Amino acid sequence: MGSVALRDIRKSYGAVEVLHGIDLDVADGEFVVLVGPSGCGKSTLLRSLAGLETISGGEISIDGSSIVHLHPKSRDIAMVFQNYALYPHMNVAKNMGFPLQMAKVSKSEIDEKVAKAAEILSLTQMLKRYPKQLSGGQRQRVAMGRAIVRDPKVFLFDEPLSNLDAALRVQMRTEIKGLHQRLGTTIVYVTHDQIEAMTMADKIVVMKDGHVEQIGAPLDLYDRPANRFVAGFIGSPAMNFMPAKVENGQAVLENGAVLAPAPEGLTEGQAFTAGVRPEHLMVADQGASANVTVVEPTGAELQFVVDLAGTPTLVSTRDRLHLRLGDTLHLEVEAGRLHAFDSETGVRLG
Amino acid sequence: MNQSSRPFYWMALSLIGVVIAAYILFPIFWLVLASFKTTGELASLPLTFWPQAPTIEAYTALFDETSQSSQLLNWPTLISNSFIVAVSSTILVVFFGTLAGYAFSRLHFPGRDLILGGLLISRMFQGAALLLPTYRLMNSLNLQDSLLGLILLYSAFGLPFATWIIASSLREIPFELEESAMMDGASRLQSMVRIVLPLATPALITAAMWHFVGAWSEFAFASILMESSDNKTVTIGLASFVELFTIEFNRVGAAATLVAMPIMVVFFFGQRYFTRGLLAGAVKG
Ligand SMILES: Nc1ncnc2c1ncn2[C@@H]1O[C@H](COP(=O)(O)OP(=O)(O)OP(=O)(O)O)[C@@H](O)[C@H]1O
Ligand SMILES: [Mg+2]
Repeated sequence: MGSVALRDIRKSYGAVEVLHGIDLDVADGEFVVLVGPSGCGKSTLLRSLAGLETISGGEISIDGSSIVHLHPKSRDIAMVFQNYALYPHMNVAKNMGFPLQMAKVSKSEIDEKVAKAAEILSLTQMLKRYPKQLSGGQRQRVAMGRAIVRDPKVFLFDEPLSNLDAALRVQMRTEIKGLHQRLGTTIVYVTHDQIEAMTMADKIVVMKDGHVEQIGAPLDLYDRPANRFVAGFIGSPAMNFMPAKVENGQAVLENGAVLAPAPEGLTEGQAFTAGVRPEHLMVADQGASANVTVVEPTGAELQFVVDLAGTPTLVSTRDRLHLRLGDTLHLEVEAGRLHAFDSETGVRLG
Repeated sequence: MNQSSRPFYWMALSLIGVVIAAYILFPIFWLVLASFKTTGELASLPLTFWPQAPTIEAYTALFDETSQSSQLLNWPTLISNSFIVAVSSTILVVFFGTLAGYAFSRLHFPGRDLILGGLLISRMFQGAALLLPTYRLMNSLNLQDSLLGLILLYSAFGLPFATWIIASSLREIPFELEESAMMDGASRLQSMVRIVLPLATPALITAAMWHFVGAWSEFAFASILMESSDNKTVTIGLASFVELFTIEFNRVGAAATLVAMPIMVVFFFGQRYFTRGLLAGAVKG
């Protein structure tokens, strides 16, 4: 078991508060990803949960009992650090066995568990090597091995893949996901890479400036972002935003062009910020007209930028269109894919 | 430095090194050679450089109970006193230097860097200026003429530098390793003993070597504090020996060689630590 509850977590460094009351529930076995821009407090929140930072206020509990007063060693949480933090003077087997040794597990049982973890992570050939004799990906696996040997209640990962090259990152992403499915242990995972978040998480927590902006399943965040920040942060390429207003039940752009039916919940004449994902704009026979300004074929799909009522807008499509700069075309929004946000506060309107 | 001038540069540098080393080492080498000569050879002219008939009689005389020299100076006692003092104070200095060095490198407290810098400054005040106050202090503590007193004194003198060396090297060990150890179930003390100290071993050896060599060869304080012949150390012995046996120079040479032996052994086995540990500290400051 390993369900985690964070209540009103606050953390200050001197006079500066960097976490402003975070609430979060993690169910047993859930894979939760904390995501947000650099400096938003992800690491601080994770380290508070680990016990490596002392929180200034709030309550942390695992399986219903408070752990705030507990030393990191007693929290039964394992952590994989960004730089792996392998012990340089111990070989792979010793590194992985260290948590068990601390738990006073017998020598034979340690050997057995290390061998099993090494098997899972394809490290069996590496057990006698020292960390400096390993590649980045192998170090990463050793760090994970050290975390899984003792079967903790919760795993914490702080940007574990950020030191790996792109190809290896994709591979490790799959491995971590596979490991989670196999072990079923609760995971809290920090990244600033929203693609990592989308592909791995059961539940994503989007943070900004020490606040939680939204918590939800990946597709919930994609389909119904709670505000403009989440809308812009989740999804790649990022959502387009443009000023609009409701006229005759239609979302109308500044030059009077009709974009799509206005989302529900808006009133006639109301001004708002319209949001459309590049993949939800379609070239059509009618609709708002736009001038092509940039064309970028990526192979799998075609991305191009148009001038839509004065706003540079990215469109992405799988169709092989033959576009030239300066072409004029008409765009429509896929049904139900127009998002509306308050122009001032950024809160979702509909 | 371009490629073509490099070999010449290194040769010139090595040559200068050899000349300096020869200049410094020649008297020492001569003294060692003298210890293997007979008194007669030393007294005869012309002077010989290499011993004509190498003998260890000067050495055996040092430990010969009936010989004049061992009646005046008991070398086994001198040597064992020096060992007791140097080894005990080295253990104390490394033990407390490690604890203090850990605190200076890991804990945050007001004035930390100032105090750490101050530790180095304290070294500048050693020497003659401290002789009298130290004598007074040891007297009032009733620690004069006692090996324990000398051990404590040397430890006090050696601790600042050892702390500084150890703290500088611990600062280079990422704290993340300790955090990781704590997540793995280690207490603070366990993370220090299991993770930090093994990685800091070179610095600990450096600190131990520096202190041992300093304590073994210290003369001034030992000579004013140790009065009874049971408590004297090798350096005092050597000094009195030079006065007593200027004629029998082979014995002076033998005694000096004997006294220098432990230091040579330490250097022989620990040379790389001696420079490496210091450099590590120097770069980081
Ligand atoms: N020891 C500290 N003292 C003072 N401020 C700190 C300290 N550690 C972190 N901060 C501040 O707290 C805020 C949150 O930092 P944190 O490391 O949690 O960000 P993050 O979301 O993990 O960013 P990144 O993606 O860059 O790792 C930052 O503004 C940072 O400057
Ligand atoms: Mg971080």
